[in-house]
Amino acid sequence: MSTQLLIAALVAGSIYALIALGLNLIYGTMRLLNVAHGEVVMIGAYVAYWGISLLSVGPLVSALVAIPLAAALGAVIYLGLFRRAMRSAEFMERIEGNSLLVFFGVSVILQNVASLLFTPNQRGYRYQDEIVHFVGATVPVNKLIVLAIAGAVCVAAVLFFRMSTLGLAIKALIQQREAAALVGIPLARVELTSLCLGFAAAGLAGVLVSMTEEISPFMGFPLTVTAFVVVILGGLGNVLGSLIGGLLLGVLETFGVALTAPSYRSIMIYAVFIAVLLLRPQGLLGAGRSRT
Amino acid sequence: MTGRIARAGGIVTAAALLAIALPFVANNYFVGVGFTLLVWIALTESWIVISGMTGYISLGHVVFIGIGAYIAALTWLVLPIWLILPLAGVAAAALATLVGYPCLRVRGPYFVILTFGLSELVKYVVVNIEAALAVSGRVLFGAPGVETLYFMALALAWASVIIAVAVRESRFGSALRAIRENEEAAETIGIAIGRFKAAAFVLSSIIPGMVGALMIMRSTYFDPLEIFSPQTSVLIVTMAVIGGSDRPLGPMLGVGFLILLQELLWANLPQLYMIVVGALLIAVVVWLPGGIYVRLQQMITAAAR
Repeated sequence: MSTQLLIAALVAGSIYALIALGLNLIYGTMRLLNVAHGEVVMIGAYVAYWGISLLSVGPLVSALVAIPLAAALGAVIYLGLFRRAMRSAEFMERIEGNSLLVFFGVSVILQNVASLLFTPNQRGYRYQDEIVHFVGATVPVNKLIVLAIAGAVCVAAVLFFRMSTLGLAIKALIQQREAAALVGIPLARVELTSLCLGFAAAGLAGVLVSMTEEISPFMGFPLTVTAFVVVILGGLGNVLGSLIGGLLLGVLETFGVALTAPSYRSIMIYAVFIAVLLLRPQGLLGAGRSRT
Repeated sequence: MTGRIARAGGIVTAAALLAIALPFVANNYFVGVGFTLLVWIALTESWIVISGMTGYISLGHVVFIGIGAYIAALTWLVLPIWLILPLAGVAAAALATLVGYPCLRVRGPYFVILTFGLSELVKYVVVNIEAALAVSGRVLFGAPGVETLYFMALALAWASVIIAVAVRESRFGSALRAIRENEEAAETIGIAIGRFKAAAFVLSSIIPGMVGALMIMRSTYFDPLEIFSPQTSVLIVTMAVIGGSDRPLGPMLGVGFLILLQELLWANLPQLYMIVVGALLIAVVVWLPGGIYVRLQQMITAAAR
């Protein structure tokens, strides 16, 4: 029973971590609140769906299309909407509010374009759904694949931010923008790369989500909200914190629902979210970043 | 200062008196559109009292609509309408008083996300209460017709604009703007920032609460998932931003523009309507800071020259 729940918690948590990681990377480096993040996940999910139903290509192969597609979308948004606006002092003064509105516009457009193109109906496909016994629990294979991939990417992200020059440059940019520029980090290029990486992670997450759940043009919004909860748990701008926050939320949600009732899921998540915001706005793990 | 309030108030009142005529000259369709227009004016003008003035962007104003609507649904046929409406406003104000102080301690993106989370929390609490009571949606029998509701909405819209103008031109408004520009500096020169922000928050919650009661009288149905929909909060912000949220006239332009668009597109092409709204929002934020109002003003000054 409890290993069963633990595996369910890890599967949910690793997906949350993957989505929140990208969201936080984009906020951390550029102070952009990407409320269209869930829609990028949705696009990834549709790539996988059409891949398997039109071309009979498995979702893992489709991921090779979904990831660059999501990254390209990020680049288009950065170059088309933000590069010029971010040079204006007026825009930068309220960068968080402004970016929230811009991304909200992007999110509405993506949702409704998807709804026009693909109909608003829910869709799903069967992929590796036979049940296996795994350390005393019965789990469908697709969930194990999701866990393995999302987990591997999260571990790779930790190593990336510890070991690679680019990862360290991104961390430097998050911690001290001006100082990062002074030591010769090319801000614009690192920003663009971070945004593309964040979008790419969301695209991959979409492929993974579609393997186990039904998808629809409006699936993104709840995912965006969940990702924000995770990011607040781990601390806005604290990239590694969002990995731990994701797992924490997965555990909290799975065990909380098992102990009470599914209808309390939303109340529980929002209550934790609000409590953390009010009591520790720097995140459970944050060490006192500025609140503004 | 009072002279300006009196003049602006006079213009608004004159416009409201003219608007009284609509139900006598137009058919029900146009009265319905007028009702929608007035309701959204009341909502956005209330919203700018906190978010336009102080820069604390509330993405959860639907919570006040929802609470007002819930109170109205609970007391429907128990109390007379002229008591239900103020009660809905009082309930919203009570909620705003309760959450205002703690919420307004957090700033920037945290406040935005917090208000959103709060409105969702209250929504699911109401959903669960209704489920525990084994009620699935409440029907309001004997709700007043669209013409009566139109007059009520007109009164609320008029009051909201008067409040927005009065706050803007008063010392209270100057204090709120000081908070927006630099909160530390405002505190240093002796503005009681906590109390001022909380007062603005409560002031901006009352009319949305009453609007909530009107909205369910119009639909004659209360469903928490619908009335607490986060899309309403987002539309309030969008209308205010597209019009320009710094002056009371701005949101009215935004409301007029979007409601017109909605009437043209919503029935046949709802997705296209939303796509246009999204594109407009992006265009205004990226290319037209200050909204339609500022651009119109620039065009008028240029033409006058």
